[in-house]
Amino acid sequence: MSVLPSFEHLRPADLHEALDAISFDDPVYAGGTELLLAMRSGLLRPSSLIDIKRIPELDRIGQEDDDVVIGGTVSHAAATADPVVLSAAPVLPKVLAHVGNPRVRAFGTLGGNLCFAEPKSDVATILISLSADVELASKNGRRRLPVEDFIIGPYTTARNEGEILVSILIPPTADPMVYEKFQTMERPTVGVAARLLEDGSLRVVVGAVGGAPEPFDFSSVHEVNSGHIADRVEVIPDLTGSERYKRHVTRVVLGRTLAQLEGLA
Amino acid sequence: MSVGNSVPSVDARVKTTGEARYALDAAVPGMLFADIVRSTRAHATILDIDPSEALTTPGVSAVITAADLDGLFPRFGHIIADHPILAIDRVRYYGEPVALVLADNRYAAADAADLVRVRYADLPVVIEPEEALAAEAPLLHDEDYSLGDRSFSEAQSARPATNVAHEAMLQWGDVESALEGAHVVVETTTRYPMLYAYAMEPYNAIASYDEGELDVISTAQHPFQVREDLARIFSLPLNGVRVRSPLLGGGYGSKSYTKVEPLAAVGAWISGRPVKVALDVEGAIHTTRADSALIWVRSGFDDKGTIVAREFDITLNTGAYADNGTLVLTKCVHRCFGPYNIPNLRASGRAVYTNTVPSSSYRGFGAPQGNLAGEVNMDQAAERLGIDAAELRRRNLVGPGERHIPGKRAMDADLRADLEMVVKGLGWGGRPTANHGIGFGCSASDAGAFPVSTAQVRLFADGSALVLTGSTEMGQGSRTVLGQIAATELGISVDRIRVKQSDTSLTPYERTTGASRTTTLTGLAVQRACRDALAKLVEMGAEVLDRDVEEVKTAEGDVVAGPDSRASYEEVVQAWFGGRQGEVTGVGIVRRAGELAELPPFWEIGMVGVDVEVDPQTGVVTVHHLVTVGDVGYAINPAMVEGQDLGAATQGLGAALSEELIYDGPQLVNPNMVEYRVPRMGDMPARIDTFIAERGDGVGPFGAKGGGEGSLNPVGGAVASAIARATGRWPTRLPLNSSAVWELLNPPDEA
Repeated sequence: MSVLPSFEHLRPADLHEALDAISFDDPVYAGGTELLLAMRSGLLRPSSLIDIKRIPELDRIGQEDDDVVIGGTVSHAAATADPVVLSAAPVLPKVLAHVGNPRVRAFGTLGGNLCFAEPKSDVATILISLSADVELASKNGRRRLPVEDFIIGPYTTARNEGEILVSILIPPTADPMVYEKFQTMERPTVGVAARLLEDGSLRVVVGAVGGAPEPFDFSSVHEVNSGHIADRVEVIPDLTGSERYKRHVTRVVLGRTLAQLEGLA
Repeated sequence: MSVGNSVPSVDARVKTTGEARYALDAAVPGMLFADIVRSTRAHATILDIDPSEALTTPGVSAVITAADLDGLFPRFGHIIADHPILAIDRVRYYGEPVALVLADNRYAAADAADLVRVRYADLPVVIEPEEALAAEAPLLHDEDYSLGDRSFSEAQSARPATNVAHEAMLQWGDVESALEGAHVVVETTTRYPMLYAYAMEPYNAIASYDEGELDVISTAQHPFQVREDLARIFSLPLNGVRVRSPLLGGGYGSKSYTKVEPLAAVGAWISGRPVKVALDVEGAIHTTRADSALIWVRSGFDDKGTIVAREFDITLNTGAYADNGTLVLTKCVHRCFGPYNIPNLRASGRAVYTNTVPSSSYRGFGAPQGNLAGEVNMDQAAERLGIDAAELRRRNLVGPGERHIPGKRAMDADLRADLEMVVKGLGWGGRPTANHGIGFGCSASDAGAFPVSTAQVRLFADGSALVLTGSTEMGQGSRTVLGQIAATELGISVDRIRVKQSDTSLTPYERTTGASRTTTLTGLAVQRACRDALAKLVEMGAEVLDRDVEEVKTAEGDVVAGPDSRASYEEVVQAWFGGRQGEVTGVGIVRRAGELAELPPFWEIGMVGVDVEVDPQTGVVTVHHLVTVGDVGYAINPAMVEGQDLGAATQGLGAALSEELIYDGPQLVNPNMVEYRVPRMGDMPARIDTFIAERGDGVGPFGAKGGGEGSLNPVGGAVASAIARATGRWPTRLPLNSSAVWELLNPPDEA
């Protein structure tokens, strides 16, 4: 399929209208950097796209209670440039500045990235390490759950039919954090986030190499064993390498990440 | 003088501003848009095609299948006409066109294409040549399609009742006895990947069929070759088919010969309306790719490192249809062993039909595949012999004026001098650094193709001139370079010249735009056309100035018959015809005669080297330094020579490090530009030296000879050998992406 199949383009004015319009066959359009590719290749044939990009409340970055709130339609580029995000989670702009390519960063959104759940992604991995939550709205109300529970597997999330991701909530942190990825193609082969928490414990999240990011928790830096993580993490062989190779580079990237973290701590 | 200067490309402004008109921009009033229904099986009998649902889509006017082509010759192919326009009873690869949907717009056509129901009965599938050559393999072709144009190829036709599409062999001397007496015999096997010659503009064509005339605008590199296929399909005389190639968005050989033109043409023939076929990259990948190769080499040397014999066995995966595979095989056989003095040689090869996308030309035509095999073998021999790799080549390279293939043109280049430019440029012989390696390689291609080229120059009454040629501008800069040649010959400034190209009805015959031939052969035709025009102008000038012809000559845009007898071109034309009118037409012809009687017209040299670093932890290869030598005899436009060399070498780096089309079962897993990775700006070496060697030893205008492909050919071998020197392990296949390098360093049996 060289061209997009025909579909209706609906542009609801507010969240209420949007929630009325969406269904399995009428998905949310929040940037299209993944969705339109899937449609172009004939994998998806929605009857309409519910364009939520002009709903004002979804396109904002702010603070709510203690959390930084990134609206569901905020682009990677906008989040990268935002001072609130920078001060609350300095690691995040560094990661977002290297997502995809300039076109993807200009149009793609963090919310869309999470909802599509492309396994070869940086966004979910770093958000899990930040202990971020997502807030989902439906006609029945709202619910909030950790990104870690939201991403279930490749292209699969806990989002129910009729729900829209309205925001990502990040608790501000000054913890030393490092994100390191290894990438030879358009998408990362493996991405590793490491965070040294205040109590001295350590959280490592390994993404892109398997079906979904996997967190590993350790009581202290001395407990970490890169080889152990690399042996246990789920690995899916593909064009970037065999399982053996991908486990190996996971170990290498883990080593590089932890060495950097040591430098920060 | 215009030649010898880096005149800016005449297309630079329109290309950078987006005003340039490519084939894809062409539109004809009333045209229909086509979409292609492609096979979802690699090998199957077509039981039934049901277009009824597709025909109900609003805006759809026709669904065309092979059954609708009654009265036409239903196949094409310039050497072997084995390629059905639309699959006839059987599909031979996943993605083969089965039906053509015509609609008012491309969206309706695409929607309807999804609704055409095709029922298949699967046949056994062969993807690798090894499978296709097995005794029980299904036969892909059982007809004899041969058309008998032997000028294309020294290959033999298909072996009956096998999947061998063509065979080629070159031999002399007694290889067996020479190898028996050799001091060292080195045996190696290499695999070259299946590639896609990515061009920014995918294949497209628009065809109109009116009053018995077929008019096609397309992305054809060789419009005159496409004209012949179309004339055969529709039983039209050559003057009944017009093929035009506007600016092409890249070609690299992938647009040589016929591709989507017959689809657009049969659409127009059936619908009575103009039809546009425009593919995306995925469609283009499912149209043509480049041959993958498995090549076995055995070379024998005496104790001083002199070659005593070389033997090559080549197997190419040529895909479902022949396209230009015959020529690729022949060229591979002629190019694999390198420009060395080889007293005993046997190079034999076969191109094998498989259930994969048909393969065809790609920059280098069999040379990159063969050169990897031959040059990596030379480097391993150097190691075994304990002789420096550059020195081993110095001892064996063919000298200027010597013949390395009996019956072919003597070497028109100083290869040893070129080699010194590469090894000095790279700092070869310095102290090795950990994880760093230098590699380089030499190649000489029998380039230029069969020399047939014609050109016209029209000198107008205002002193401006038009150059007409059937050679296609596809980004390589021929429009600029041919203009420079004409400016210099005519003695007028380059901005008074325009070059018009590739319209089979209006521009004179050109065999092909390929084989690096344009500057040399089309350039000669243009040079001769200019001289013909000036000779006529001299005769006219003699009449106008009232002098004997012998007294008259041309100089700097004037006709001169002595110190006080002089007239400008425009004055001569105007005075001779009377009034402000008239023009002079010069004709230039190049054929296989005189200086061009010997083939090839010239040897295209490739001399390239790289300095790489390998990250042993991840296998990532970084190319720090690239050196190319453009041995072009005389650089008519030095900046364009360097641009060609850098482009060619970059495509070579793609094949060496990242590019590969991969079949998993019957279909390609990466027919797109996300998963088929061509080099990006960030992959470019930090240091690039593009040297030019000018020794005036070419047969072309001003001593020029062709470039543009040469600097691709040795890159694969150079990178492989550099990685071997960095890691101590010899690779046997490309691409050497990070996982391949790591697997090379950490084979499973050593884990």
